[in-house]
Amino acid sequence: MLLLSTYFLFSPERRTANMAASGGRTVGSFLWKCGNCCFNFNTVSSNLTRQVLSRQLCVSAVLHRKNLAAAGPEKFSEEFIKKQVEEFNIGKRHLANMMGEDPETFTQGDINRSIAYLFPSGLFDKKAKPLMKHPDEVFPKQRAVQWGADGRPFHFLFYTGKQSYYSLMHDTFTKALAVEKHQDRLRGKDLFTQDAKQISLVGSRWLLKEELEELLVETISEHDYARFIQLMERLLSLPYCSVEEDFVQRYRRQLEIQSSKQQVQPLQYDQHGVAYSTGDGRRKTAMGTVLLRDSGSGSISINGTNYVHYFPVLQDRQAGALRLAISRAMLSFLSEGQVETMRQAGLLTPDPRIKERKKPGQEGARRKFTWKKR
Amino acid sequence: MIRVLLVRWSRYNPYYLEPEPRKEVYHIPETELTPEQKEERELKSVRPIKAATNSVTSSVFNDPVLSKFVNMMMKDGDKIIAKGIITQTLENMKRKQVEKYHKAPEVKKAEIECNPYVIFHQALENCKPVIGLASIQKGGKFYQVPIPLTDNRRRFLAMKWMITECRDNKHRRTLMYEKLSQELLAAFSKEGNVVKRKHELHKMAESNRAYAHYRWW
Repeated sequence: MLLLSTYFLFSPERRTANMAASGGRTVGSFLWKCGNCCFNFNTVSSNLTRQVLSRQLCVSAVLHRKNLAAAGPEKFSEEFIKKQVEEFNIGKRHLANMMGEDPETFTQGDINRSIAYLFPSGLFDKKAKPLMKHPDEVFPKQRAVQWGADGRPFHFLFYTGKQSYYSLMHDTFTKALAVEKHQDRLRGKDLFTQDAKQISLVGSRWLLKEELEELLVETISEHDYARFIQLMERLLSLPYCSVEEDFVQRYRRQLEIQSSKQQVQPLQYDQHGVAYSTGDGRRKTAMGTVLLRDSGSGSISINGTNYVHYFPVLQDRQAGALRLAISRAMLSFLSEGQVETMRQAGLLTPDPRIKERKKPGQEGARRKFTWKKR
Repeated sequence: MIRVLLVRWSRYNPYYLEPEPRKEVYHIPETELTPEQKEERELKSVRPIKAATNSVTSSVFNDPVLSKFVNMMMKDGDKIIAKGIITQTLENMKRKQVEKYHKAPEVKKAEIECNPYVIFHQALENCKPVIGLASIQKGGKFYQVPIPLTDNRRRFLAMKWMITECRDNKHRRTLMYEKLSQELLAAFSKEGNVVKRKHELHKMAESNRAYAHYRWW
């Protein structure tokens, strides 16, 4: 008898119907109500688990709503979301107990692994697989009701339709004006210098349109996004913009350092204590593996023969595969700075160029048939 | 928003940056970098880099101009033959110059250039046109209008003229490398057919000076 304290999420539309009929319902009738259920639950003994199951919701895995602002009045009240969070946490602890792991240090990755283990799904569509996530990620972010009891909206820009976006633009422009005023004051006092401290922009990028929409809980058009970026650039063009650095950094995301993505294998030692490392590389269909030994004589042999005899011609795609293999083998011998130098010289990227396919109606990949006027 | 379909596309994401194969760039210490170079370095540290092509190396013998010339000489993808011709040309030039050096009196010895790479670069420089002509249609007629040329275009024209000259105007029995070395040495001393062609182009441009205002860019 399997004890299941499962917490499955399905689409919110059907959920409302289920929520209306809560408490006192048996598991069986719920299973009948949610037509989407594909799991047969064994009889459950614990009271708590029965309660959890009885509040089953049918929710599809990806809930990203396209039109956040026009989602209508709130479907999920705040107390409901809070309850969902509590249930999620309880369910997480039960799951950790079931898997025999520590409930305190049970991460989302562990949850995903456990669900995949307990409910192996042979389905290909990611949206059809069972999922257990924090309610904040599942239920779309929505705004509280924007108007009071008398029907008057709270925000002064409510009737623009995109109040958060326009208020953001308004704030940004106010800040730009404030910076200009500050500059004029300094000019008046003769303290204006061109080389004021600038905001460092390297290594970060502007928020993407989707991320901005998520932040504002509002849909904006591409034109709006372009205008927003333009206004921020204008703010950054002022010499004394470092006053508003915090504001600007809120709308920038850090880019990760590429060199950290390189996997450097640790050195291996053979029986004589000589350090060696291996690397393999590929180019088109040529594959090569390289064994690099430390403190050697500098001789290179390929498949037993000397490299001069093997490669009469310098440029071969096998040479390209070997170059990548040698660079990778060398990584474990080099320092961080040298690894970065190699990466910037283009030695560590596998070459993605392949033969372009031939298209129908053409002789080759690019060459067209002879054009005849008639 | 109209989507422009690019006919020339690459296997790489446009996010990827070009690699820098020269070794000297990486040996400059932190203190001697200009702010632009510092910014460029920081940008490179966050962006992925394309793989270096097979023809580009970080060795001292790598010459981008020479590689371009080899590619232009190449027929049907046969780089081995093209590279062979160029090597033979350089060797031939060196031999001729060394012979001349030994035969010359002491006074003239310092003026004779023996390095074939230097001769090649100087010859190419002497062949590059300064101004070009473009065919512009105005009022139903086509006029040859003098226009400024970009560096790449000038280099390309010099190389193209050199190669076509060597392929067309040679005796049946002379080999390509022989003819090419003759032409390069002539161009080095500003004689020969290629520089003559350059001068003719300049004269044409000068004669069509009146139409210069037909250019709108």
